[in-house]
Amino acid sequence: MYRRLLININQVRNRLIHTHNTRLTLPSTKCKERESFAPVAWAPCAARPLGTSSISFSENKESSTSLSEDKGKTAEENEVNAEVNTDGQRNTEMNEGTEISNATLTSQLETEPVVKPEDRKQVEKTKSGKESLLELLGAMKVEVTTVRKIRPSKTPRMSERPNQEPMESTHSMFQRATAEGSQQHGTLNPELVAAVSAAASTLPNRHQAESELLKQLRKHEAIPDTQRRADIGHIISDMKVGKRPNGRSNVRPTSQIRFDDDGKGYTQDRGITSELDGVRRRKSPFTSKRLNLFAAAAEQDALSDLGPTLWDIDLVNQIVQATNQMPRNGFEEMIQWTKEGRLWLYPINNEAGLEEEASVPFHEHVFLEKHLDESFPQQGPVRHFMELVITGLAKNHHLTVQQKKEHIDWFRDYFRQKEDVLKEAEAYLN
Amino acid sequence: MASSCSQALRHHVCKSSRLLRVHLQKSWTNRSFEGAVCVSSSFALNSAADQQPAVSSPEEIVIPKKKTWSKEAVLQALASTVKRDPTASDYRFQDDPYLTPKTSSEFKLFSLSQESGRNAAKYFINTYPKYFQKDYAQPHIPCLMPDTLEAQIEEVSEAALIERIGMRKVKAAVDLYDQLLQAGTSVSLDVTNQLLDLICFYGDHDPAQENVPEQRNEETEDVQDEPQAKKGRAAKASDLLKATWKEKNNAERIFALLSEPNTHSYSALIRGMVKYGAYSKAFSTYTDLLNSRLKADVHTFNALITAAPEVKEKYNEKWELIVDLLKQMAEQKVKPNLLTLNAVLKALRRCGTVGKSQAFPVISEMKALSIDLSLASYSHLLAIFYKPGAPIQGQTDILQEVMNEVSGKSFTPQDPDDAQFFITAMRICLDTKDMEQAYRVHELLGVGENWRLLGNDFQQNIYYARFFSLLCMMENIDVMLKWYRDLVPSVYYPSSNVMRDLLQALDTDNRLDLIPQIWKDIKQLGHANRQNLVEELLTLMAREKHNQEVQESFAECALDIKKIYDTGDRGKVLLNWTAGSLSDLISVLLAAHRRQDAWDMLKLFKTHNRVPSEELLNKFLMCVKEDGDVNQAVELVQISAGFCLPGTPKLIQRVQQEFELTEQQRKMLSDLEIQSFNSE
Repeated sequence: MYRRLLININQVRNRLIHTHNTRLTLPSTKCKERESFAPVAWAPCAARPLGTSSISFSENKESSTSLSEDKGKTAEENEVNAEVNTDGQRNTEMNEGTEISNATLTSQLETEPVVKPEDRKQVEKTKSGKESLLELLGAMKVEVTTVRKIRPSKTPRMSERPNQEPMESTHSMFQRATAEGSQQHGTLNPELVAAVSAAASTLPNRHQAESELLKQLRKHEAIPDTQRRADIGHIISDMKVGKRPNGRSNVRPTSQIRFDDDGKGYTQDRGITSELDGVRRRKSPFTSKRLNLFAAAAEQDALSDLGPTLWDIDLVNQIVQATNQMPRNGFEEMIQWTKEGRLWLYPINNEAGLEEEASVPFHEHVFLEKHLDESFPQQGPVRHFMELVITGLAKNHHLTVQQKKEHIDWFRDYFRQKEDVLKEAEAYLN
Repeated sequence: MASSCSQALRHHVCKSSRLLRVHLQKSWTNRSFEGAVCVSSSFALNSAADQQPAVSSPEEIVIPKKKTWSKEAVLQALASTVKRDPTASDYRFQDDPYLTPKTSSEFKLFSLSQESGRNAAKYFINTYPKYFQKDYAQPHIPCLMPDTLEAQIEEVSEAALIERIGMRKVKAAVDLYDQLLQAGTSVSLDVTNQLLDLICFYGDHDPAQENVPEQRNEETEDVQDEPQAKKGRAAKASDLLKATWKEKNNAERIFALLSEPNTHSYSALIRGMVKYGAYSKAFSTYTDLLNSRLKADVHTFNALITAAPEVKEKYNEKWELIVDLLKQMAEQKVKPNLLTLNAVLKALRRCGTVGKSQAFPVISEMKALSIDLSLASYSHLLAIFYKPGAPIQGQTDILQEVMNEVSGKSFTPQDPDDAQFFITAMRICLDTKDMEQAYRVHELLGVGENWRLLGNDFQQNIYYARFFSLLCMMENIDVMLKWYRDLVPSVYYPSSNVMRDLLQALDTDNRLDLIPQIWKDIKQLGHANRQNLVEELLTLMAREKHNQEVQESFAECALDIKKIYDTGDRGKVLLNWTAGSLSDLISVLLAAHRRQDAWDMLKLFKTHNRVPSEELLNKFLMCVKEDGDVNQAVELVQISAGFCLPGTPKLIQRVQQEFELTEQQRKMLSDLEIQSFNSE
């Protein structure tokens, strides 16, 4: 995945170079760039044209401020960040973007200042959740090595500087983007989202570009903090500071024109941001902050030891009364009857209701001779009668074993009482 | 490539055969078939022949445990196969086709009579238990046997007290308790608490005869006109108002007698006080509880939260009191339950704007304590954000949020207010005219057992009335009619107002040709005697010209309506002719070229002392002219003159010009002309 991303980035770079080379609208930039681009070292080249745009911005907007070399450098540095950032984010969609030559390049340039402020902040704070940018900056390291000699002197300065000027320069632009209504976007930083939407607005297929950019950003958000932190040192140290090339102020007018011609520069994208805003807001109410009154693991109070109280019963009763308990069809009525115990249970079991007999084996029912032991005569009419009785009882499935025993016991008592009579009749032989 | 492909295929086959085998095993053993294992394993051998190692190891066969079914499982499975039949009436009426209700009043009557029949039977069984002692059922069915309503234990003992408490005889239990104390026997704390529960629950009154769900709405509902959502609740409130917490009642007396009341005792007392409106007293009792160094239970807090809005005036103060109670809950390590959440939300309904800001934090708090919201919570939430009658500004998304949360979920009833959700949600849909959410609400109703939470018949009627009004307003006529056929009359009997909405919807979408069909339904639903509705129907039919076929059906319909006007109910006149309805009716008949019928109708103006409009007479004359009936034209003029209509001269002129009149007629007309001239 990551390799593919890099490949993509490289492709984008190459195309970018091509578009630069073949540009007609900016002859002055073209020739200069061609020289610088020729030695395929990409990073400086890519940084330069982008840097100019920001410079042109800053020049235009703070005409009174003298543009020192330092300022220019820091601004450019940020451009580098921004460029890599956007590049990586839209690894695929940038392909399309760059293919559309002039227009896209200008748009590319246009987006840079928008993204810039965050990068600046992020570099300074080194914590504020812009890991995506950093990740991609990390990827850039290899190319940067060509200009590493500048690094040691420049980086400390850069990271210390408050950097207000570029912020100012892009201020109006940034405002335009943020005014689109995104204050906060899900887990992403709101400014970042605004920047993304602004960037996407410059691309031909805005919706797709924007959603992809955001997806990419979120993916990077997911990368754990520690890893991020570790990277930052590298990245900052590997950061390259470019020079400010001169005489490229005509970049901006073209981009301006493009927006005017198009007629739907930021206005269209307002719809998207508000839509995204809607998505964000949709999640907010039920995930809003809590009152924080209770500790999460509050103890369950140990009640209900006495079974349901009158109040519990009443609550259930109220609920039953409030809800619709009418059966909608015959089966539901049968369910109701089953619950009331009025219906034979399904699946049909012919031992239903014989729970106390379930543990009694069948032979207890059938072989009852053992109950006719010594208390009955061993032979004779009484014995014969009792054998008939137990045969009948063995076949009787209505009585429980206990009842059968009682039945036999009754006869035992009976014959004992009548023992005299039976003996007289010589029927009782023992 | 090919090998890997075949490998993949084989793997797939193995997997599926294993799956099949597992399936078979399950199904066999589910039926607790004795030889299930060997059968299924041999099957596995055959079907997964290429999977030698797996089959050859016998230990792989795991015999699943025998599944024990719940006793309703089979029936539930069967019931889930039955779908609602939109052409059938409710299930409870299907026994007797003669008693299939056609109108809402019949529905009410029949369902109530069925229920009251059951109650009557139960009453007799319980009143005369000695006649119902024969137990035919085997196994024994307790619910068919009479309940014992008389106390069995006569002596003065704790057992007798427990029995009386169980039978909810408040007075007898209190008397017995007093007797026990006088005799010097001490009653255990548990039993005393139960007694307190009983007294507090019934507010120191003997409970009325137990009600059955259907009975309670008897006098509250009036389904004929636009129903009021709060009627059900109002009835309950009035029940509560009847009994109030009295100073020094038995509960307080017995409580005072307790040497060491525990949490349960306090809980019973506080809940009783809150139930019977002694709110500030409940709070002071709670203070007593704290002073005696006891902890309250969750029910006490729930009751107090319910009472909180009653004891404070300002919104802020109410909310602060609730927060304070919640904090004390946390301090006393009492875990809130769903009812706590619902009580807080219900209280927030009366906290105005505070409610709007605090509702979601409260819900988040409770969610963090892993309390799942019930429909009542959502219902309260909606009520907080959408006050009835208040203007709706930009809060439509709250309903959407709620629907996002709930849609697709099946809810179980957990709170008596759960049944308010659907009608509340539908009210908001109607207020905001949000068809999309209305469909989502209705979809939710179809999920799982959610239909039970729609509530009783009365609430169902409100719900469907709202849904249907919204449909009439927002949907195109075909969709609306689809719903109409689906809902009416199997679950919903529309009121006359809703039928008017329906007519208006027909009008908007130019489907007036359906009116005769709707008229049939109106008649069946018992709204044929609604003057407004019938007049509106006639106006709609008379207003425009339609093609011949439609006009013909309109005319039939009009004559049908005329019959309603004529017959009346047992000598009582149901509908009164007005000039408007008469002329509309005549116009309809004329448009269908039913001159004779129309002519008969025209005479009704005279009999009912109504005056026809000029326009109608002109229309009539046109129709007469088409047929060239001179006599009738003259008669028409005479009628017009009879009403002294100002347009009579014009009418005479027209007749004179447009018809070939005989001499006599000419003379008559000129006489009339002079007459009318003079009268002016």
